[in-house]
Amino acid sequence: MRLLRLVVVAALAVWAWRYLFGGRRSAERATVAFADGSGVALEPGSAEFDRLASVARAVLS
Amino acid sequence: MDAASALAELQQLSSRIESAVVLDEAGAVLGFSGDDSSAAERLADAAREVLAAAGGLRSADAEVTRVEVELAEGGLFVVREGGRTIAATTGSDAIAGIVVYDLRTSLQGIDAAKPKRRRAKPKSSGDEQESET
Repeated sequence: MRLLRLVVVAALAVWAWRYLFGGRRSAERATVAFADGSGVALEPGSAEFDRLASVARAVLS
Repeated sequence: MDAASALAELQQLSSRIESAVVLDEAGAVLGFSGDDSSAAERLADAAREVLAAAGGLRSADAEVTRVEVELAEGGLFVVREGGRTIAATTGSDAIAGIVVYDLRTSLQGIDAAKPKRRRAKPKSSGDEQESET
C-alpha cells in the first residue's frame, strides 16, 4: 500500500512538472538546415537559440 | 510569375502566413506581401540576420537552406533555394512543415530574372518595340 502511494505521488509530481514547465518549453524551438542535408536543432536557452529568437521577436512583435 | 504575384498567391493559399518577403542572391528585396514597405524591409533585415547567425553554426562552406524559429508569439521561417530567399512570419499555431512547403513552392514559382537582350539590335532601325514575353 505504501508503495502504491509512492507511485501515485511520483506520477502526480511528473505530471505537475510537465504541466507547469513542459508546455512552455515545447512551444519554442529553432532548427537550421544546411545544403549538405545536415541540420541543427537549437536548445532553448542556448546562446544560439536566444540570438535567433531575439531576431524573430523583433519582427513578430 | 513575378515575386509579388507569387507572394499574393502564397497568402491566398496559406492563411497562417502573416507577412512574407523575397530576396535575391545579393539580399535585395524582390517583392513583399502587403503594402507596408518598412515592415517588409524589417523582415528582410531579420532574414539576413537569421541566415548570418545560422551560417555561423557550421563551417563557411555549409550553406544554410532553411531556418525555422517558432516562439509563443509566432514563427519566423526563412527558406533559401536557387539563390533566392523567402522569409515569412506566421501566427503561433502554424504547422512548420506546411509553412516550409508553401514557402518553397512559392519560391519555385518565381520566374528567373529576365535576361537583358536589347543590345543585339542596332539603334538605327528606329522601330523599337516593347514586347512582353
